[in-house]
Formats: sequence, C-alpha cells, structure tokens
Amino acid sequence: MDWVFLSELAINGALTGLLYSLFAIGLVLIYKASSVPNLAQGGLTMVGAYVVLALSHDAGLPLWLAIPLAAVIMFGLGFGIERVALRRLAGRPVVMILMLTLGLDIFLRGITLAIWGGTSRSVDLGVSYEPLFLGDIFVSRIHLVGAGVALALFVAFMLFFRTRTGIKLRAIADDYMASWSVGISVERGVGLSWALASVVAVAAGVIWGEIQGVDQALSLLLLKGLTVAVLGGLDSILGAVIAGIILGVVENVGADFLDPLVGGGSRELIVAAVLILTVMIRPHGLFGRHDIERV
Amino acid sequence: MQEKVEAEHILSMNSVEVLYDNVMLAIKGVSVKVPKGEMIALLGSNGAGKSTTLKAISGLLKAERGRISRGEVTFQGTDITEVLAQNRVGMGICHVIEGRRVFEHLTPDENLTAAAPRGMSRSALNAENEKIYDYFPRLAERRNSQAGYLSGGEQQMLAIGRALVTQPKLLMLDEPSLGLAPFLVEEIFGILQKINQEEGVSVLLVEQNALAALEIVSQGYLIENGRVVMHGTAEALKSNSDIQEFYLGGGEETDFHNVKHYSRRKRWLS
Repeated sequence: MDWVFLSELAINGALTGLLYSLFAIGLVLIYKASSVPNLAQGGLTMVGAYVVLALSHDAGLPLWLAIPLAAVIMFGLGFGIERVALRRLAGRPVVMILMLTLGLDIFLRGITLAIWGGTSRSVDLGVSYEPLFLGDIFVSRIHLVGAGVALALFVAFMLFFRTRTGIKLRAIADDYMASWSVGISVERGVGLSWALASVVAVAAGVIWGEIQGVDQALSLLLLKGLTVAVLGGLDSILGAVIAGIILGVVENVGADFLDPLVGGGSRELIVAAVLILTVMIRPHGLFGRHDIERV
Repeated sequence: MQEKVEAEHILSMNSVEVLYDNVMLAIKGVSVKVPKGEMIALLGSNGAGKSTTLKAISGLLKAERGRISRGEVTFQGTDITEVLAQNRVGMGICHVIEGRRVFEHLTPDENLTAAAPRGMSRSALNAENEKIYDYFPRLAERRNSQAGYLSGGEQQMLAIGRALVTQPKLLMLDEPSLGLAPFLVEEIFGILQKINQEEGVSVLLVEQNALAALEIVSQGYLIENGRVVMHGTAEALKSNSDIQEFYLGGGEETDFHNVKHYSRRKRWLS
C-alpha cells in the first residue's frame, strides 16, 4: 500500500468535495428558507459563469470587476425569479414548486444555449497550473482556491443565519402561515434566499468554469451537489461542507480501487450509491433537522 | 355622534361575507365590534365560522384562497379590507393562529426575534423579550431549547409571546385552550387578562370553551352557520338558558325518566 499516494487521493478528493459543497451551499440556502429543493441550481450556476464571461471576455471588464458585478446581476435575477414565478405558488404543495424549479432549470439551459452556443469556453482566472507540492503530495492550486471560497462562504452564511434576517428566513422554512401571522414578509424572504443562492451560483460557476470550462455540462453539477446536500441534510450548511468532503474522498479513493476492476466510470456509480443509500438509511442526512413529533 | 361611536371601537366588521375559492360562503354577513381596551369572545361550535372571522380581520384569508366578498373591516377608523396581512401586523393587528404553530426548529428566543417588527432596536427587542418572559416564567427556563419540544401549554405561551413582540393593539387568539389541561387554560387566560389590563391591548378571543372564555371577557358573540345569532355581555350570556344548555354543558337537571333518545340540537332562527 502506497500511503503517500493514498493520502494524495484523499486530500485532492477532499478539495474536490469542498467544491461540491460550494455548489451545495446554494441548494441549502434555498431549502433553509423555504423548504424547497431547488433543482434549478445547476442552471443558475451555469448562467452565473456565462454572465461573468459576458462581462469579462465580451465586454472587456477586468475579472475583479466582472465577478462582483455578475454577483449583483444574479442577486437581482434571484429576486426576479421569486417575483415572477414562485410568488403565485407560495403555500402550494412542495411538489408543484419542485416541478417549477425543474422547468426553470431546463429554461436556463435552453436560453444559455441560444445566447452563447454550445462551445466550451474558459474563464481563465489567472490561477497558475504549476503543481503545488505539500511535502510529497501534489495538489491543484485552483482546487485549493475553490475550497477556500467554499469555506469562506460557509462561515459567512453560518453567521448570517444567526442575524435577525437569517432567523426570519428559518422561521419561514418552518411555517409559512405562522410567518405571515407575525408580519414576516414570506415573499421577500424567499426572494432573498434565491438571490443569495444565485450569488453562490456565481462563485461556484466561476471556479467550476475554470476547472472544466463553461458549457452546458456545468449544469450537471446539480447531481453531485444534490447528493452532497442530501447527505449533509438539505438544511444544514455545516452538513453540506462535511458531506462534500466525505463524498469527495469516497469518490476519489473508491474510484481508484474500483476503476481497474470495472474498467472505468465508477465515480458516477459511487455518487449514485451515496445518494440512494442516504435516502434509504438516513433520510434527514447527517445534520438535517427532523420533523418534530411529540407524544 | 357617529364619529364618537367609531372612535370607541378599535375594530369593527360590518356585514362581512367570506368566499373560499370563489364558491364556498364561509361567513354570511358577520358584524363584530371590539371596543378599545376590552376583551371580546367569539363563541360557537366547530365550523361555525369563528376562525374565518379572525382570518378576515388579520388578512390571512388570502393564504387559504379566501377573500372578503362583501362588507368591510375597519381598524382604528381606517378601512383595511384590502390591506395585506403583513401590513396589518404593522398597524397593530396580530393573530395567534389555531394550533399554536410555533417555529418548531427555532428556540423560544429565536421565535420572539423572528416576530420583531422592522426597525426594532436590539435593546428594545431584549426589553420586550424580558417582559414576555416575566408574563410567562415557564418559558424563560426553556428559552434556549428547541420550541418543537416544549409542552403544549408552553408552546401556546410562546405563540402568545411571539404575537406580543409585534406590538399589537388588537390581539386575536384562535382557540388558545385547545388540547390543554384545565389548570393550564386557567393560567393562560389569567395571563391574557393581565396583558389586557397592563398593556391596554384589546383582545378578540375565539373559543369553544365558553365557560372559561366568559369568565374573562366583557362581551360575547355567538356564531352559528356563518352568522351572529346572539350578542350580549358576558353576564347576560352566562345566564341565557340556551347558552347554558348548548355551550356551558349545564341546563336543567336531568330527569332520566324523560331522557330523549336523540341529541337535541338548537336551531337558531335568523
């Protein structure tokens, strides 16, 4: 057994996992504030990346300006989605809202394809591709940057949910009717959660766009992001971070063992197995809230 | 003269009709007035339209696809029939909805914070919380545990406390005694009375437990089939023989030779 190689796999897996967490934080934000799993997060992430590209490469702005500007635009888009589409469905069965988010995802994919075409483009953050050696272990710099962004957002949102606005968002997730009854603007709260998730989508879109290029495939991150969010417990930001690390390590190390046996493609199998087993064995995930039933 | 009468009532509802889903007529011309600073009860059996009446006042009807199709609701002299629910809370109407409905995954402290009006300073909120914990000392002990695990009585207290944070002028409660032991009902009603006297909050109470309600209110309305069938002071209602028989569970002494083998049901002529 080569321990150096194994720990390299594990460390790089954990870093990739934190990038899944970066994506999953967006899902958790919306779930935490409205109890709806947002299937459009993949589409939003892709749009986030395209908006950054449009501002930097097409309009010629420097990246340090293009990224915050894209965040502002996406923040507005998040609010807009609530205003135009979700508001009519407030208080309706979750399955209807779920279908709406699925439709939104398809819409976002279609519209990006129509505007920017299907060719893959690169963000070019300017992060060096020179390998970075920590002792004997090789790590990728861009993964390290992305993991840092994920952890920074994690801390920011943990603090946010302790503020008064954050508490109001959690109250909305618990009970729409009770929230209305004490004067909380449920509509504005849900809008805010979508706006914040759209900002997270910009961060995830830029990092993932740098790693794998900006094209339609970016929206497929939803599958891994959803697995991480479910494993972490859908409404727990801490859960999303820890579950991301777990999934990343299991996927990277597991694939190294399984790939020679099955001839490749075992990564997707491992992710699918984690998702299915989580739902079967621990539906509330590692840190998810349980529905409280008193006797 | 007319204006003076209006000013004395913090709330008046004039022949309000409510439609659900544009077809189902839930209340059919209900008129209720709440004099400023008093406690009023709405009594009646299940499905009579009491909760709908409260929702028409708080604006929560909209969340259940109901609307006021006729009549109007005025609060402190302003017509609020078209005002959004969340803005009515800002005006001073707070509705403690049926079944307690505390924010289960939040602590009692966070439940109170969630209800804080926009722009309330942190120190004002803290002072408000301490006042509420003074009214409900039981809650103070559990202020940092998850609200979903509080007992039914504690949850009801929290629901009332949460409503008080919104600084209501009119507090409406839908069946606060539901599922609670009699001694708890007495405790909570006692506290309500205290809040009414100390804060000058007007109270509109919906209750099936007429016996307990009539002890603390000054007037009561009896609602059946979506209509007000009787209105009077608490004293007058308590001594009314129909009320005694059907809502207070008293009535004439039972003579078992003359027991009727069907349950008598009052038919109100209106």
